[in-house]
Amino acid sequence: MLRALSGTTRLILLLLTLLLSVVFLLPKQTRAVLQAVGQPVSAVVFFPIEAWTTLEHSIIGLWQDYVALRHVREDNRLLRRDLELLQRQNSDLRESAIAAQRLAALLEFKEQFVPQTVAARVVGRDSTNWYSGVILNKGDRDGIRPEMGVMTSAGIVGRVVKTGPFSSIVLLVTDPHNAITGIIQRSRDEGIVEGTAQGKARIKYLPLLANIRAGDLVVTSGLTGGFPRGIVIGTVLTMQKEEGELFQSAEIAPQADLSKLEEVLVITVPRSLDAQPDAGGSKS
Amino acid sequence: MKQALYLSLIFGLVPLQLTGLNYVGIAGVRPDLTLMATFLIGFLGGEIEGLLMGVLLGCVQDLFSAGSLWVNLITKGMIGILAGLLGRHLANATPVTVCVFLFVLSVLFGSAAAVWIRVEDNFTGVPHMIQSVVLPQALFDATLGTAIYWLMPDRRRRESEFGDDLALFGR
Repeated sequence: MLRALSGTTRLILLLLTLLLSVVFLLPKQTRAVLQAVGQPVSAVVFFPIEAWTTLEHSIIGLWQDYVALRHVREDNRLLRRDLELLQRQNSDLRESAIAAQRLAALLEFKEQFVPQTVAARVVGRDSTNWYSGVILNKGDRDGIRPEMGVMTSAGIVGRVVKTGPFSSIVLLVTDPHNAITGIIQRSRDEGIVEGTAQGKARIKYLPLLANIRAGDLVVTSGLTGGFPRGIVIGTVLTMQKEEGELFQSAEIAPQADLSKLEEVLVITVPRSLDAQPDAGGSKS
Repeated sequence: MKQALYLSLIFGLVPLQLTGLNYVGIAGVRPDLTLMATFLIGFLGGEIEGLLMGVLLGCVQDLFSAGSLWVNLITKGMIGILAGLLGRHLANATPVTVCVFLFVLSVLFGSAAAVWIRVEDNFTGVPHMIQSVVLPQALFDATLGTAIYWLMPDRRRRESEFGDDLALFGR
């Protein structure tokens, strides 16, 4: 078959095949080279992505604003009523918070859940069908690094796996390659949350005698880097206990709607700096 | 002209894959535009062009994927070579043959990628991936790729050339 090719063509083909073989045989060694070459390319490729997303958001925004206007008077009335209710609740909660702060200071309990975050917009999905991932419009230049956690107000989204100058790739919590340590909020049993091939998540390695029920909340344990303690991962759907196994597992539904992600928060520092224990051991 | 087209494919195809195809996908599965482009370039332009464009498109695709930085680079490069060799040695290329080859290559390389991705987990979930991702994507790739091939002016030129050649043999 190759006999029909000219000498130069054969040489080019041979060199390129050799290059592919080197990349295939030494993936770790060539990763750094590919990453260095890829950085400027990804910066250039990112601009059409950003332009397309901006256009897409403008069109969707225009349409949604128009549709929303049709029901705005009724919505406004309902929102005002909710606002009055929430203002009353807010006042009560503020009182409770002040009391909790006072008691926490009394107990010298200093750890607080105040992570530092960077807001980013989802500009696309993973370029292949193999991974459940999303592309963010913030990257190295905004302080985003691999292994950082990503969340929404609803709960955990995933973790950053790759970064470029202007973009980063997040592997969703439903991807089988992702693993986060989580605990069942009610029973405090710890396990590992992984994605499944079916696009859901599962908490594994739960103690066999753990009392877990459908509807239990699963939250981050704070043991793996990138996530502070107590962020909601999802809700237990079903339990899986097999005979002869040392552990049990449970299927969970992620709390954040991963199919409709638009804006997310990248956790750059899992805990606020002032929440770190004092070196001098001063009391407050 | 060709260089400009190839350059726009390198910098424009992956952004389209990432953003524009979200509305085209069925059950989360989208066609692989880089695979289709690599196959058609190789098939019509020869193995060198197929290989080069496959490597470049695969590299850009890997930059925007959560996977390793070389999986698409290698698979797309190989698809480019194979498509070039097929195009060179296939006497009578029709949209049907393009559809069949595109489907077969998409299934082959998709299955290989599925096996590779799940190798660390003892290949668990590979049959499910083949059933829910590889086959739908291959169908998508074959249909869309054939439609693009059918609309391409290069295809008509090539078919007419082969048609003339075949006419010598009494066709």
